[in-house]
Amino acid sequence: MSSEVSTEGRTVVDRTLGLLSNTVVAIRGAMSRRDGQGVFLLTATVYLVVYLYGLSHLGTGPWGFDLSVVENPLSRMFRPVGTVQWEPVALLVVGPVELPVAPLNLALGSVLAALVGLNFGVSLVAWRGPKACRLGPGAGAAAGIPGLLSGVVCCGPTILLVVGIQASAGVLTVFQWLLPIAVVALLGTLLWVGTKVQPEAV
Amino acid sequence: MDTKRRTVLRALGAVGVAGLAGCTGTGGSGGSSDTETEGDTTTATPTEGEVTTTSGGDARPPTRDQALYLGHDVETIRGEITSGGVPKDGIPSIDDPQFVAADEATVDPGDPVFGVVRDGEAKAYPQLILVWHEIVNDVLGGDPVAVTYCPLTGTAQGFERGAVEFGTSGDLVNSNLVMYDRGTDSRWPQVTGTAVEGEMEGQSLQEFRVVWTTWEHWQAAYPDTVVLTDETGFSRRYGSDPYGQYNPDRGYYVSDQTIFPALMSDDRNRPKHVVIGTRTSEGALSFGKDALLEQRVLTGSIGETDYVAVADQTLRTGYIYENSGGVTVTPDGDGYRVDGTTYSADRLPLPSQIAFDGMWFAWAGFYPEIPYVE
Repeated sequence: MSSEVSTEGRTVVDRTLGLLSNTVVAIRGAMSRRDGQGVFLLTATVYLVVYLYGLSHLGTGPWGFDLSVVENPLSRMFRPVGTVQWEPVALLVVGPVELPVAPLNLALGSVLAALVGLNFGVSLVAWRGPKACRLGPGAGAAAGIPGLLSGVVCCGPTILLVVGIQASAGVLTVFQWLLPIAVVALLGTLLWVGTKVQPEAV
Repeated sequence: MDTKRRTVLRALGAVGVAGLAGCTGTGGSGGSSDTETEGDTTTATPTEGEVTTTSGGDARPPTRDQALYLGHDVETIRGEITSGGVPKDGIPSIDDPQFVAADEATVDPGDPVFGVVRDGEAKAYPQLILVWHEIVNDVLGGDPVAVTYCPLTGTAQGFERGAVEFGTSGDLVNSNLVMYDRGTDSRWPQVTGTAVEGEMEGQSLQEFRVVWTTWEHWQAAYPDTVVLTDETGFSRRYGSDPYGQYNPDRGYYVSDQTIFPALMSDDRNRPKHVVIGTRTSEGALSFGKDALLEQRVLTGSIGETDYVAVADQTLRTGYIYENSGGVTVTPDGDGYRVDGTTYSADRLPLPSQIAFDGMWFAWAGFYPEIPYVE
């Protein structure tokens, strides 16, 4: 019996490793292709822009070129100002574009954007691959939505005006979980997409 | 608001420099009645305009002799406090405000500002800066004060703060900012001005008048005014407003929806309709702002006490006076005639009340069945 359990355990480990390996191969394959790279860059950039816009960390203003940094930026960058939101420690102005720089939010947004980009890139390659399952990129896009919503959670989440519901303790709790949900969903869909890609097809 | 740009070299030079500077001096405390006495709102005797502020310890903000009327039990209001989705001080107060002269300001003429005058010193606080901070711990005429603004209820109010600063708790009630004092950590919903939690529970802060007007009107009335700048010590997009826009009105400020539930609903007006209200130790009273500006004189009562509201056409605001003597107030040119003499709107020879603009749902929520006059 113990040998059966051991065999089952090895099987699970082997399958997990196989899944990861397949996904890594799929990612490498997709990122080695121009169409995969293009979709990755495009979708990751769009996602990051929307994420920062949702945080009010990106917008337009009076024309100028400027970089201003607050006092003690290294310590203040860790100061939380909301749910998974941290203090901007600089303001970058390039032409009409204003970008308050919160390093932790930039890093977090970049990770989410990279995951969204990989989802799209691998999905596209899987979709185009002749031997792979016909899989649309919609799964990766859907997985990234909670992360976008999480960006607009702050005092008076104005997105609720658009949705037409009032904030309650329950709604705010849901909003607090949006970002972890987005990370898990993006990783999950990436692994899932990886299973649909035949290594030889990429 | 045309945000003033800072230079790269100057900004980078600030990296690594020590944090916010404190001030020195003394604060004070005292009592006050329901009425506001012009030029007599002083509660501290600082040395040459310098004031000590305290974070922690047992320092307390000065309070009124008689607490203000609350439309609900303290327990009810406390029970309705909800998270705004941000931590304590997640919306940071401005504790070292910087000002420039009016001719150096870059505020759009039609943008809202919150104006205060004390001992001849006029200051304007642009809405587009306060929307990111909600509280300015400042010194006015040598007195330590807090100028506060809640975007979700459209209320700008001034409080004496003595030796302590105020901060944002991150909580809301009736969509209204819940402040905390950095001395006792008591919780003060801004509109009520009364602590509903903490060791100062049930006590009301001393207040002073803050005028909601536009920059062009304020500057015309007080050309020597100074203006709060965006040199706040924080990086924010000060030309933008995360909730909507005034000048012209847009977004949350015109929507019939509120983001957070109101304490009470009252369909006598649309939720965001702007009223000018007052509350005393006896009750509350509100006047339609547009109606007041149009008709110039409106009257109402709290219980058996009569009140009169007059419009200030220069600043596009209104003032409320107790009128228990029942004197006749009539428009006379730009001013108002009382007992044969003409006075400006802000200087009628009657006991002045603290009045402030607010969205209807905020007034109606905090003060159920509040009398409304238009």
